[in-house]
Amino acid sequence: MFDTKTLDGVPRRRRRMLRMGGLAVLVAVTAAAVAGAPGGAAVKKASAGTLTIADVAPFTGVDAALGPTYLVACDAVTGAINKAGGVLGSQLACKSVDTKGDPADAVPAVRQLYASTSNLALVIGLTSDEAAAVVPIINSNKTVAFGMTGQAEFDHIHFPYFYRLVPADLAESYAMVAIAHFRKHDKRVALAFGNDIGSQTFVGPAVASVKKAGEKLVANETLDLKATTFRTEAAKIIAGHPDVILTEALGPAEAAFLSEVKQQNGGKVIPVIGTSATISPDWFKSVAAAVGASTLASDFLADNLVVDTTGPAYTAFKTALFAEKGKVGSTGSFSTYLTAPGAVHLYDGINLAALAMVAAKSTNSSVWRPYLQKVANGSVVVHDFAQGVAALKQGKTIAYVGPGGPTKFNGYNDSNGIFQIDAYTTSGAVKVVGNISSAWINAVR
Amino acid sequence: MNVFFASIGFGLVSAAVLAIASVGFTLQFAVTNVLNLAYTAVMTASAYAAYALNVRGVTIWAAALAAMLMGALLSLFLNRVVYTPFQRRRASPIALVIVALGMTLIIEYGTQAVAGPTNVSYAMSQGANVGIGSFQLSVAELAIIGLSVVLMLGVHVLIRFTRLGKAMRATAANRDLARSSGIRTDRIVTVTWLITGALCGLAGAVFGMNAGTFGATSTDIFLVLILAAVFLGGPGEPYGAMLGALVIGLGTEVSAAFIVSDYKDVIAFVALLAMLALRPNGLLGARA
Repeated sequence: MFDTKTLDGVPRRRRRMLRMGGLAVLVAVTAAAVAGAPGGAAVKKASAGTLTIADVAPFTGVDAALGPTYLVACDAVTGAINKAGGVLGSQLACKSVDTKGDPADAVPAVRQLYASTSNLALVIGLTSDEAAAVVPIINSNKTVAFGMTGQAEFDHIHFPYFYRLVPADLAESYAMVAIAHFRKHDKRVALAFGNDIGSQTFVGPAVASVKKAGEKLVANETLDLKATTFRTEAAKIIAGHPDVILTEALGPAEAAFLSEVKQQNGGKVIPVIGTSATISPDWFKSVAAAVGASTLASDFLADNLVVDTTGPAYTAFKTALFAEKGKVGSTGSFSTYLTAPGAVHLYDGINLAALAMVAAKSTNSSVWRPYLQKVANGSVVVHDFAQGVAALKQGKTIAYVGPGGPTKFNGYNDSNGIFQIDAYTTSGAVKVVGNISSAWINAVR
Repeated sequence: MNVFFASIGFGLVSAAVLAIASVGFTLQFAVTNVLNLAYTAVMTASAYAAYALNVRGVTIWAAALAAMLMGALLSLFLNRVVYTPFQRRRASPIALVIVALGMTLIIEYGTQAVAGPTNVSYAMSQGANVGIGSFQLSVAELAIIGLSVVLMLGVHVLIRFTRLGKAMRATAANRDLARSSGIRTDRIVTVTWLITGALCGLAGAVFGMNAGTFGATSTDIFLVLILAAVFLGGPGEPYGAMLGALVIGLGTEVSAAFIVSDYKDVIAFVALLAMLALRPNGLLGARA
């Protein structure tokens, strides 16, 4: 009664072939996805006699721009160090560890890092998305880590192996308000920050600082980074008639939000002041596509840590960084990395660590960690790894000063920085348009 | 600017995008009996298909056709290669849900592997603002609303006035009886996957236009909104999905005008839960 060779008119053998072919396509796509999707630990290059530097940061998710920025710096400086002979006979290699910007993903990723890496010398990255979750793990493993988080909880908690290369977020909040108050003389301020940990830490200090500066806070909107439209949020901001919007919302949210502001404000962007995280090729590319590069060039300022763009330190940094150009995926203007805080200060941090290892004659973190302060505060100023090694071989004490300036750690291993005011050109290059004095900061804190 | 009236306009735009996606999703579920949680992953892949043409100079409104084609073919592939074999082995509904979730990850990360982790934007102009008082929308936003209305009318005509629509309704109501009545239900299912896949693909392109910028995982939360609209209106009910999309779209934007904006999606689910407590089968589902 039933034809066993066919089912619904399709021969059974042909159905099996179709199914196998389809499954083969599925397997191929899955393999491509697994190979292409960054996650967990991806080793760039490692071999016997190699010391690994792990970049623990988001490579996917809303903060996906941060991990690659730090990796560019790592590749640049390790390339220069390896060219100068490496550290105590060992070459350095960089390894990306994708935290996806989520503590729930970051913890297993870091655990996997330790399980799979026997020659881990240093950890870098550590944004506000994951630092609180993974710093205790890294510290308990006695690995020196240089972090880029400005979270307040690290201001007064001592993890001996954790060093913060950027000032606390509240200092950046003060800097943003100082720009609005002293440089632009704005009276009405709106805040628009993403709902991620890293962005929300700016809000409290900014609110207090606006009040101290005698300005009026007309709107304070939190942007859900997983939302795709922000029309109502933009309408609420515009309804307050602000003179300026202070903002940080990484990923696609910032572009979508500012595009909505421009659209609803009759085609005009309200001037924007961003945090140092907005100095990034990916941020510029995304927002410029949404509101226009010329608009961004004329109506955007950001606070950024001072970068010394003259002198031998900057020359060495620029040479090392541009050796990596073309090796990074399409991210917009590569020259933006020259002032991106994640690139500059991690470059300095890795140089400091390498020089500390040479000075201590050991790659064991517990042995070379105390030398970090010594190679930053000696008598002979050096500007790159090769210079430092040469001076150390002559028995001198060195003070490494890189493009980020001298590094000084306080009792909590936090470094304090001074701020400058950055703006974009229409091509996405960054230019310094002013400085923020300590008097300005003190007036609004 | 009166934020309340402005938010009503924004809610209509959100509802329009959600309606295109939700109607396709619920039709798919009604006829095929598959809760295709990979629906938004197909949307994303389709959005990128449109982007691939748009970045080469094709206007996005024409490139949306490529998105429809991508959505239709990918949905058909999913049905033929993934879901049907499991259904034939009488896999439990929960097993099919797990399979669908797995396909979501495969498609999303496969898209990311090809397209990269950074977000992209369509090259399109929003046009001038049009409206009265605080009720202002751009030309592009009005076009999205118009497109959605046309599509909803098209779906209405399809299921009410065509033989195909009648067959789809019969298959959705009782597949065995429909087959016994001479309806080639497997062909109806195939055609349904193609039509709803095309709607899914178009929804992806419209999502990208509305969002301004998108990435491989941008639609993750959107799936939850689709489910909310579908179940608010009544699962398997296209008209219910339209109504659900309107309620969710307006509810999220209007609530954002009065409460903290980043909780606006929470309001949508509170409304859904309240509705399900009162009418478990949704607004237009049969009374329980």
